[in-house]
Amino acid sequence: MSTIIRLDLLLREAVATPYRDLVTRPTGAAVRQRVLTVLRNTGEPDAQLDFSEVGLLDFSCADEIIAKLLVETLGLPVQRVMLRGVSENHADAIEHALARYDLVIVAVLTQSPEPRLLGAAPDDWRAAFRALTPLGRAPAPPIADALSWPLPRTVAALEGLARRRCVVAHPDATFELGAVA
Amino acid sequence: MTRVVPVPQHLDHLSVDQLAAGLGPWPPEQRLLVDAHATEWASPAGFVALITLGQALAELGAPKPELTLPAVEGVASYWAKVGVLRHAEPLFQLHGKVPRRRVSETSDIVVPLTIIRNATDVHEIVGRLTEQATQILAHELGLESSVVGGFGQSLSEACQNIVEHAGTAGSVAAHVYVYRKRLSGRKVAVIAVSDAGIGFHRSLDATQGKRFGDRWGDAQAIETALIHGISRFRDPGRGQGLTGIKRYLARWEGKISIRSGTARVAIVPGWDDEPPRSEGLPWFPGAQVTIVIPGKEPSA
Repeated sequence: MSTIIRLDLLLREAVATPYRDLVTRPTGAAVRQRVLTVLRNTGEPDAQLDFSEVGLLDFSCADEIIAKLLVETLGLPVQRVMLRGVSENHADAIEHALARYDLVIVAVLTQSPEPRLLGAAPDDWRAAFRALTPLGRAPAPPIADALSWPLPRTVAALEGLARRRCVVAHPDATFELGAVA
Repeated sequence: MTRVVPVPQHLDHLSVDQLAAGLGPWPPEQRLLVDAHATEWASPAGFVALITLGQALAELGAPKPELTLPAVEGVASYWAKVGVLRHAEPLFQLHGKVPRRRVSETSDIVVPLTIIRNATDVHEIVGRLTEQATQILAHELGLESSVVGGFGQSLSEACQNIVEHAGTAGSVAAHVYVYRKRLSGRKVAVIAVSDAGIGFHRSLDATQGKRFGDRWGDAQAIETALIHGISRFRDPGRGQGLTGIKRYLARWEGKISIRSGTARVAIVPGWDDEPPRSEGLPWFPGAQVTIVIPGKEPSA
């Protein structure tokens, strides 16, 4: 199960005006605080930030909302934060912000239902993520087969994704994409 | 006594140097008369620079300067249309026939001259842009929606630089016009932002000055921010604005030019020949950022 957080609604709460654009650092910081409040009180393991009704996202706001949020959620019970309803322009700003921190996040863009990684992810992580996507949940061997990789390389990539909370590593040695699958 | 400061016939982000040269010592010892009677054309960068000059003098408590309006038919009227005269009136004593034309949003004006004081102003500017300018940029320049989105991001970041770093207000204007000298007459969108604040040198001095020793100056300060993405804040996420703009412009062959104090640093695409670094320019208050995004090349 996943908590869906509509950023357009939090934006309106934060600035008390009908703006659709996530711009400026003060706005981004105010929205992030509201997201953190929701995440502290959610009982769900996953959360999805919904950009569907957001207009523009600038680089500074992407830094405040996404990059700093990922850093601050490390101490919270929520296992993963993902993005949905992301446009190409949103994705561009988010990639730019996350690269500075060496962070990565899972996002579903409006133009394609297939989840993808935004931010600083090595090519191996991206390939392993793509191979896991159609399976939803799987152990490493079928992913290694699909990629024609040795098993240790596949496990390293999947564990890297799990460390960055882009997939969930289960005790039975399977890896799961989660709510966006 | 009054000192006459001639405004160039064509006032753009480069010929602001001529305007600056006319200022003489700063703060001025005499009342200034900014003489634009022979000015035939001004870019958004020229407009915001004029407002910055008026603002800087007002903040100094200097005598209110005079501004002689362009005498060439239609020019002063255009200045009214793009919002310059509305904001010039409180800062200058205007001479010449002041057209009472309303500020209008037409196919060449993406953002009329607007004052930026705080984050709310940035929200307002971006909000207006997304509604009306998308059509201008798409139709007049043939830009795709992803390019238009990046334009909005760049506009927002350029305006935020004022709020975050200048320590005072500034102004922004964005127009579409034909680049006759370059790009074979293609249309371009130009964003110009200017403030009368502390400038790049002072903004970065406390955190960066010692690193550069004797080399530290206006040009080095602009390069530190623009080329290396360093901000005066220690927060690792800071400095994203200019680096984000730079990335966007690199993708679409755009140009950014920043003037502050006595220097100008530009990231210059292949179609232009502006020097990448100019030092020893006549001093001008605050900081001026000019962003140029070329329109789509017309198909043969």
